[in-house]
Amino acid sequence: MTKILIVEDVPDNVELARKILISRGYEVVHAANAETGYQLAMETRPDLILLDLGLPDYDGLTLAGQLREVSAFENLPIIAFTAWPVETAKHMAESYGCNGFIGKPIVRVQDFIAQIDSFLQKK
Amino acid sequence: MPSLSNVAIKLIPASQFTIDELTAIYNQTRVDYLVPMPMNATRLAEYVQAYDIDLHHSLVASEDGELRGVAMLGVRAERTWVTRLGVIPSTRRGGVGEALTRSLLEQSQILGIDFTMLEVIKNNAPAHELFRKLGFYEVGELLILRRSPSKQQVEPVIADARRLERYEALDLVGYNRGTQPWTNQSESMSHAEDISGLYLTLSDGSRGWLVYRRQKFTLTHFIYKTEEGNPAEMAYAFLSHLHHQYPRLDTQIENIQVNDPHLAGFYKMGYVESFRRIEMWRGIPPETLIARK
Repeated sequence: MTKILIVEDVPDNVELARKILISRGYEVVHAANAETGYQLAMETRPDLILLDLGLPDYDGLTLAGQLREVSAFENLPIIAFTAWPVETAKHMAESYGCNGFIGKPIVRVQDFIAQIDSFLQKK
Repeated sequence: MPSLSNVAIKLIPASQFTIDELTAIYNQTRVDYLVPMPMNATRLAEYVQAYDIDLHHSLVASEDGELRGVAMLGVRAERTWVTRLGVIPSTRRGGVGEALTRSLLEQSQILGIDFTMLEVIKNNAPAHELFRKLGFYEVGELLILRRSPSKQQVEPVIADARRLERYEALDLVGYNRGTQPWTNQSESMSHAEDISGLYLTLSDGSRGWLVYRRQKFTLTHFIYKTEEGNPAEMAYAFLSHLHHQYPRLDTQIENIQVNDPHLAGFYKMGYVESFRRIEMWRGIPPETLIARK
């Protein structure tokens, strides 16, 4: 089963994304901060990481940079999950080695699923 | 005790709450921000210590027994700083933010301080308007810059480079830098751990220094000065030495003046703009804060 790690600290955002992804048949793992996110990435070896950029211990971009340092994660889709304006999100995601971004909040479920599927297909 | 600006809103000194409680209320106020900047209790405690937050004069807003918002007050000689102001999203537009800010200004008056500083995220129009309404005026635009770790080795510019120990770095930072944003004032640096620096002299006689904080994953808190030469070239030179030494560290620096002549050197080194803040003041800066000629 395809495994997605959600690193996100806001419970409502986590629950919505989790429900959608599980309904689509994905296995979901969740971390509420960057340190746990790093540990779970190492332990569970997800197929994609959905990464909030504002986390309470250190920020998501720093975590993206750390994960890219791990050779096993060089080609792992890391997707920024952010409410930043589109141009800023795109710019920052690219700068830190993310494969792209998905905007928050999730407005259209079908769009969210299509984006996740698309990033996984490009893997 | 703070006075009540709105009878329905009760303002409680933040010192009556634990750091865990303050962290929870702060994070709830930021949940829908474009740049939410959540914190855990450890980070908030560090923030309180590093930026001289006076929790006795900081406030939590309560209405009908529910916590609605928070605002903190930094206190230093002859100046205060409004920070971490936030209101629970469902409660906004109800006067909680204004009550909190007005009361922080009253707290400043109680402390005998007439000069207050703050920064507001650019394009946060409601907050910006509120601060204008309460007598704050714009003094500049500030950049938050980042640079990702790089697998490409940075070649250091040829220079006579000397590492500055903490005491040397703080000595340089403490000298005559004028009205800096709160986060970049010498007190902020002296409270922070892991401060060190670089002093560079280039072959053409240009010289300058960079003071920074090295944390586990990040480089932060840059203060720098070109003593002689072109600022952009000096910036590139000291950044080349820094990133040569720490290629795997993420870099986050905040509140760099938008007209800083060093900026071209940062951009050449791969720094990107994350977002902007507007710096605002209320009152006249005290003589002790203004740089001497």
